[in-house]
Amino acid sequence: MPELRPILLVEDNPRDLELTLTALEKCQIANDIVVARDGAEALDFLYLSGSHAARDPGDPAVVLLDLKLPKVDGLEVLEKVKRDENLRHVPVVMLTSSREEQDLVKSYQLGVNAFVVKPVEFNQFFKAIQDLGVFWALLNEPPPKLRQVGGD
Amino acid sequence: MSGSQSDLDFCAREPIHVPGAIQPHGSLLVLDPAGLDVLWASANFKAITGRTPLELFPSVEAALRAWRASGAHAYRARLQNPEVDMAAHAHQGRAIVEFERSAPFLPNALLSRLTGFAQQMTATEELTDGLSATARLIADLTGFDRALVYRFDTDWNGHVVAEAGNGTLPSYLDLRFPAADIPAQARNLYTLNRIRLIPDANYTPVPLTAFGEECDAGAIDMTFTQLRSVSPVHLEYMRNMGTLSSMSISVMVDGKLWGLLSCHSRNAHHVTSDIREACDFVVQSLAMRISADSRAETAALGVELARVHTKLLAAMAQADRWDEGLAGTPGALLELTRADGAAVLSQNSFLPVGEAPEEHQVRSLVARLSQQDAATDSYITDSIVSEFPHDGGFNDGTCGVLALRISEVEDSWLVWFRQEVVKTVTWGGDPHKVVRESGRIHPRKSFEAWREMVRGKSAPWHPAEIAAARDLRASIVEIVLKKAEQLARLAADLQKSNRELEAFSYSISHDLRAPFRHIVGFSQLLTEREKNLGERSRHYLQMISDSALAAGDLVDDLLTFSHLGRAALSADKVDMNKLVAEVRRGLAEETAGRTIVWQVDDLPAATGDATLLRQVWYNLIDNAVKYTRLREEAHIEISAVLTDQGILYRIADNGVGFDMAYKSKLFGVFQRLQRSEDFEGTGIGLALIKRIVERHGGSVDAIGTVDEGACFTFSLPALPEE
Repeated sequence: MPELRPILLVEDNPRDLELTLTALEKCQIANDIVVARDGAEALDFLYLSGSHAARDPGDPAVVLLDLKLPKVDGLEVLEKVKRDENLRHVPVVMLTSSREEQDLVKSYQLGVNAFVVKPVEFNQFFKAIQDLGVFWALLNEPPPKLRQVGGD
Repeated sequence: MSGSQSDLDFCAREPIHVPGAIQPHGSLLVLDPAGLDVLWASANFKAITGRTPLELFPSVEAALRAWRASGAHAYRARLQNPEVDMAAHAHQGRAIVEFERSAPFLPNALLSRLTGFAQQMTATEELTDGLSATARLIADLTGFDRALVYRFDTDWNGHVVAEAGNGTLPSYLDLRFPAADIPAQARNLYTLNRIRLIPDANYTPVPLTAFGEECDAGAIDMTFTQLRSVSPVHLEYMRNMGTLSSMSISVMVDGKLWGLLSCHSRNAHHVTSDIREACDFVVQSLAMRISADSRAETAALGVELARVHTKLLAAMAQADRWDEGLAGTPGALLELTRADGAAVLSQNSFLPVGEAPEEHQVRSLVARLSQQDAATDSYITDSIVSEFPHDGGFNDGTCGVLALRISEVEDSWLVWFRQEVVKTVTWGGDPHKVVRESGRIHPRKSFEAWREMVRGKSAPWHPAEIAAARDLRASIVEIVLKKAEQLARLAADLQKSNRELEAFSYSISHDLRAPFRHIVGFSQLLTEREKNLGERSRHYLQMISDSALAAGDLVDDLLTFSHLGRAALSADKVDMNKLVAEVRRGLAEETAGRTIVWQVDDLPAATGDATLLRQVWYNLIDNAVKYTRLREEAHIEISAVLTDQGILYRIADNGVGFDMAYKSKLFGVFQRLQRSEDFEGTGIGLALIKRIVERHGGSVDAIGTVDEGACFTFSLPALPEE
């Protein structure tokens, strides 16, 4: 039985944050949810640096990443993660308002695991978050070998 | 250099204006004008005047003082005792005074003859009639055997264009004489001094006797004298022609030597100074007529060419490219310069019109012109072969070229061509032959007519045509520059607005959708959390949620609109009847409770993107429903017609309509012609329709009348044949 790893939610908009947390809560996911409010903080968490230098080691189960973020934007965070040998296995889901095709194309080029346009309609939004949470946090297990390399 | 060329040069070098002698039919004094001292006198002075210079001087003095008082350049007087005519002029600081025996006063008949002639010159329509009348009158007045009107061409060859005579001398009418017959310095004298008389070619020149300290009579410039002794070569020429006396009067048109009135007699013949003056008057009248004719011709041609110019301008303004505009109006382009062919060329285009040489020939010509002189902007010739004797000719008969450079940067040229005009010219003797005798040059002894075919020449370009061509170039340059500026400005504007639109739609995509999502999300959460909410509160929450959803849709619409330029279209056969029916069902809520009379015809199918075409119908029908809201009975008609261009769909209503003055704004983004409190809307609908229809290769249009209704149409290309 694998330990329950946290979900990293990167979101700068407080209202979106509240809605997303509510939706995740409703899914009854047991994972801890770590919130980063900008791209830089998200990288601090992933690299155990800055304000997250003292956190317990281990990679998040999934990163739910907004696209437009202060300081370091979502695409930059995605690029760093997917270029990093030790982090590239961490699933990253773009969770964004954007319907711009260029963002979608760029994200997939950088190796995003999923790209979700947040629907305006709340029930659809709720459903989307629920599906993501269940799929990535519960079902999607990383390869064990990589886990050992990155873990200790 | 050929032998004949150097012979001609010999003639051209002879200093004919300082012969140091005069003809014997008059006598001459050269005076120091300050002290009225006699410097020279002709040796025949007493023979002509009956006095020595000193004896005569008191009679002359009064006239000379009157002349000095008048300040004029020249002065004429008739002395009573002795009876002599005196003509004085100042030249190079001296006064030269000539005397001739007075003739009886002019007959009264002369005046009426001159008046009649002046009237004829005004009234006669054809210039040739005027020329003949002049020759006739001069022959009659002077009593010479023959009077010719001799016209110079641009190369100074002479052409006898009119003649009158008593039959004693042979007719020279229509003969041509080579330019060498009247050398340049003689023509120069003719320009300065209009009348020459040689009463007897066998005369003995009369030397000048010096009275003062200066001895060399050859220093006296006789340019303006009437008695000047002429060149022995000329006298020989006269004897060869069988004419012992001659007189010529210059025809000066607008300051240029146009031609001569040339009179000859077989024997010696004298003409008094009064008659010569009368002849001068006659010839100057002719000159005025020639000048007027040429001005009138140029003016008429100018008007005609201006009309052609306007036509070409219009063609260029309508065309995308000026060169295509010109080549697309071949008639006018050739008419402008009365050319047989033309070509408009630049580095990567060649548009020939009419009889134009091959592209490679024209290109090598303009390359050579640029090579000769990089700054050259025009080249005009009526004989390209003689200008480029070795390889310059065209092999298609083209001889005349009028080439104008339009743009140096693009190396573009506008070139007109004229075909060869082969004409037969009759010369008075072989102009290419010089007869030699005892090592000395004689003018041609044989005056048999010699015919020559003139080849390698086109008709010359008229100054008005050249001016018209230059005007056209100025217009082209203006148009080209204007268009380039417009395009550059347009491109810059487009780039800017495109960037703005990109940034705008990106920002909408991210920032504008979020608040609507929040509103919907939180009202939903509130509804779920507060189980005890009353019916009305729930309704309000629902309205909040609905409105936010609708706004979200609007944002999505806008994004669709901005994406439309980039997205690919599907091209399926679309059942328009079905689309219209679907849209009407979708609008059931809006139409509920209203009286709407629908008249929907059977609509032909279209090819295109069904989703987008549905959007077109939705927006149009939604508008029609919306803007007829105030009508008790709304009428909405939907129909279609097949046209040459495709299918024209039409929807008309009896709603509030619009003011045609604002029609141009109708299809713009965020343009609304109605206040939003009267009629809701985003201002995108029609812009979206326009964009969708145009992406389908069609166009949109609308007509409207305020308070009466509007009619929108959109066309789509016809279905491909099945």
